[in-house]
Amino acid sequence: MKPEYGDVVKVHTKEETFEGILMPNKETDSVVIKLDNGYNIGIDDKKIKEIKVVKKFEEKEDQLKNNIKKDDKKPTITILHTGGTIASKVNYETGGVISKFSPAELLEMFPELKKIANFDSRLIEQMFSEDMRFVHYEKITHAIKKEIEKNIDGIIITHGTDTLAYTSAALSFILENIDIPVILVGAQRSSDRGSSDAVMNLICAAEFIAKTDFTGVAICMHEKTDDNNSVILPPCKTRKMHTSRRDAFKAINDKPIAVINYDTRSIKFMKKDYQKSSDKKLVIRDSFGDKIGIIKCHPNMFKEQFDFFKGYEGLIIEGTGLGHAPVDPPQKLNIDILESIKSLIKSGTIVAMTSQCIFGRTHPHVYTAAINLSDAGVIYCKDMLTETAFIKLAWLLGNYKKEEVRDLLTKNLRGEINERITNFI
Amino acid sequence: MQLNYEKLGFKCGLEIHQQLEGKKLFCDCPTLNSDKDPDTRVERRLRAVVGETGEIDQAAAFEMSKGKKFLYLSNSEDTCLVEYDEEPPHELNKQALETAIKVALLLNAKIVDEIQIMRKIVVDGSNVSGFQRTALIAMDGFVETSKGKVTIPTICLEEEAAQKLKGDKDFVRYKLDRLGIPLIEIATGTEIKSADHAKEVASHIGMVLRSIEGVKRGLGTIRQDVNISIKHGARTEIKGFQDLRSIQKVIDYEIKRQQKSIEENKKIEKEVRKAEPDFTTSFLRPLPGASRMYPETDVLPVRISNDYIQKLKKQLPKLLTEKTEEIEKKYKLSSNLAKEAINNKIFESLVKKFDKIQPVAIANTIITIPKEIKTRFKIDSSKLTQKDFEEVLEYLSKSIVTKEAIIELLIKKLKGEEIDLKKFESISDEELEEEIKTMMKEKPGLSTGAYMGLVMAKHRGKVDGKKVMELLKKSSN
Repeated sequence: MKPEYGDVVKVHTKEETFEGILMPNKETDSVVIKLDNGYNIGIDDKKIKEIKVVKKFEEKEDQLKNNIKKDDKKPTITILHTGGTIASKVNYETGGVISKFSPAELLEMFPELKKIANFDSRLIEQMFSEDMRFVHYEKITHAIKKEIEKNIDGIIITHGTDTLAYTSAALSFILENIDIPVILVGAQRSSDRGSSDAVMNLICAAEFIAKTDFTGVAICMHEKTDDNNSVILPPCKTRKMHTSRRDAFKAINDKPIAVINYDTRSIKFMKKDYQKSSDKKLVIRDSFGDKIGIIKCHPNMFKEQFDFFKGYEGLIIEGTGLGHAPVDPPQKLNIDILESIKSLIKSGTIVAMTSQCIFGRTHPHVYTAAINLSDAGVIYCKDMLTETAFIKLAWLLGNYKKEEVRDLLTKNLRGEINERITNFI
Repeated sequence: MQLNYEKLGFKCGLEIHQQLEGKKLFCDCPTLNSDKDPDTRVERRLRAVVGETGEIDQAAAFEMSKGKKFLYLSNSEDTCLVEYDEEPPHELNKQALETAIKVALLLNAKIVDEIQIMRKIVVDGSNVSGFQRTALIAMDGFVETSKGKVTIPTICLEEEAAQKLKGDKDFVRYKLDRLGIPLIEIATGTEIKSADHAKEVASHIGMVLRSIEGVKRGLGTIRQDVNISIKHGARTEIKGFQDLRSIQKVIDYEIKRQQKSIEENKKIEKEVRKAEPDFTTSFLRPLPGASRMYPETDVLPVRISNDYIQKLKKQLPKLLTEKTEEIEKKYKLSSNLAKEAINNKIFESLVKKFDKIQPVAIANTIITIPKEIKTRFKIDSSKLTQKDFEEVLEYLSKSIVTKEAIIELLIKKLKGEEIDLKKFESISDEELEEEIKTMMKEKPGLSTGAYMGLVMAKHRGKVDGKKVMELLKKSSN
């Protein structure tokens, strides 16, 4: 009998015999078994004489009942999963973590959700945050469209955190005048651990949907490292500012829309002019341009770095300071770079400027480099985040004519541009 | 009354936890055990993670049912984002692993080929992440005891938990300086025959641990848990022993508690109990099941090569007991003095330096006399430096002073007083003999003891008592 993962096996080496459950191991050249006491150990492949199956793995039947009662007095929320996992179970037999997406499984794990709303839940597709492409935005839009047709009260989208803010910007541009809340929720600590931030963010998002008149796209994540408050963040002005902390997501050149206290479930709006329900018709534009690039300026640049983007529909230059690239004469290397940018623009690439300072506004006239660049036709994106400018440019290129794109890029469509920066962080 | 352990169906195993020196197990924080005031304060909650069976581990569910919020306090000198579960763990601390492997080898255990780091679910808040990282590093060890072999089925390397502080209505409070300190967990088999035997095994393992460099010393750095059951009773795990000496009493009290419940037909639960200062135990939490381990996927497994084990085998230190015996014989010390001498970092170097002085005198100078200064004169002798000892030993070595002068010289050093060596200069045998003769003439008819007293009072610190006695006897004849 060939041993398979999950089987109880006896591993015989020259000197010893180990008994345990055979565990998956792709990383090293050893056989990993789970001992009776719960510990895993690896046994050197070369030492093993024989692996005997003691007992074949038997899959346990899931005894969950799927009859969930609907409470008509409560709003209905659909959770659309795109990967990452809000709900996951640890399989103690194989030691793996299994993602759970069905409504029954979700409510079994988070019974407190029942008090807030009726829930539907399904997986759109496993999308790894870092592998996202524009086509995924179309898939998510398609799933949202289907939910809107069911006349539900709100949508929660679970999303890996790496590119969560790109997706929120994209959905915000796609779903013009959407009449229900669409809240993106992520977790910086996976939900297979007791300390996961997923549950609080999920519950706070649900409370926000159930209790407020907010409509449109937003993000719900931890306000601080504490499990106290979650914040509702603006979809186009939020950036992941830390590789691992729970409160990685911050509003940049803007403030959170609202704060939800997890203890009291009270909601405090920080902004008054948020989007509410209206008679405006929902317009969905989910096309995107194809090749859009981002280049970050740094010392010692060469023209070839810009030449590379020949043939691209759009390029965001993440400039230094107020929005600068090394283009000041008389240095030949700089003049060459300016020429390269000019030739990109001439060939039809839309080139736009943001700042790598992250905080603050770009300015096209203060220094000569900026004057030279804007004279060459580089569009200054005001206080837009690089990531948002990238998504917006791609989206504009997919849905509008070139001359409109140049115009719309610097026009505030979804709160991506803030003409008045008032916070001092 | 002496209990009949065999008849009781007494089963007992120990779990010994020992903290290690150096850096924390999965981050670069120091293991200070410092008392710095907290500069960081974080509120968190924990949830039990549901297992594949749909069941939450019993112990985990119990903690969750309490619905507590946790307040974590720390100082940034000894705590970073890793302890706060805000940064993934760094790689396993290789120094700690090496120390743990050496311990395992001294306990005759077999090191596993590849160490897999696991997450053990703990939701009482003592681990910010909701689990304790732990790895099985060796199996099948044993120690020899007066009542035969006691097996050591597993030796693990794990993270120390956070230290619980006094909580309040809303919060369970923890300080994080201790969280993540490397901890060796040594679990014995159930061959322990009695409460006395349990103490013997615990002290033997403690001795092995102290034989190795890199193991922390002092209060709270080693902890013993005891697992006990009797026939018709249930397995209880007792934690929180104040010290080794209370083990026997606590075991006997727990046996009696279980006996009483059996007599009264009460159900005895499998549970974790806390050892109280009065040797009784109190309920702490249900016993966790085996169903609470899953792999720590953020840390790579560690392969242990045979070459590495062979290299470490060659570096293994002698056991403290062997070393004590050796020193006892080599330097002709009493066994008590030898025990202290091996823990003394300067003893052997001083013996080498002052080869004219008997080692026992050196041991007394640096170990016994400072203790006496503390108890008899109530002076804090821990302030004595190696330089102080060397100065005094130098006088002794050159016969400027006698052994008897050492205590006074050291006290003067501690008080910062100037030393007038003339006052301590030993007088010659001839001078002394002359003086004794004069004294006997002046005060005839006293007992030898009385003469002795007079001489010693006058020349305390300058003369050797034995010599005086010798001269007294000689003169009275």
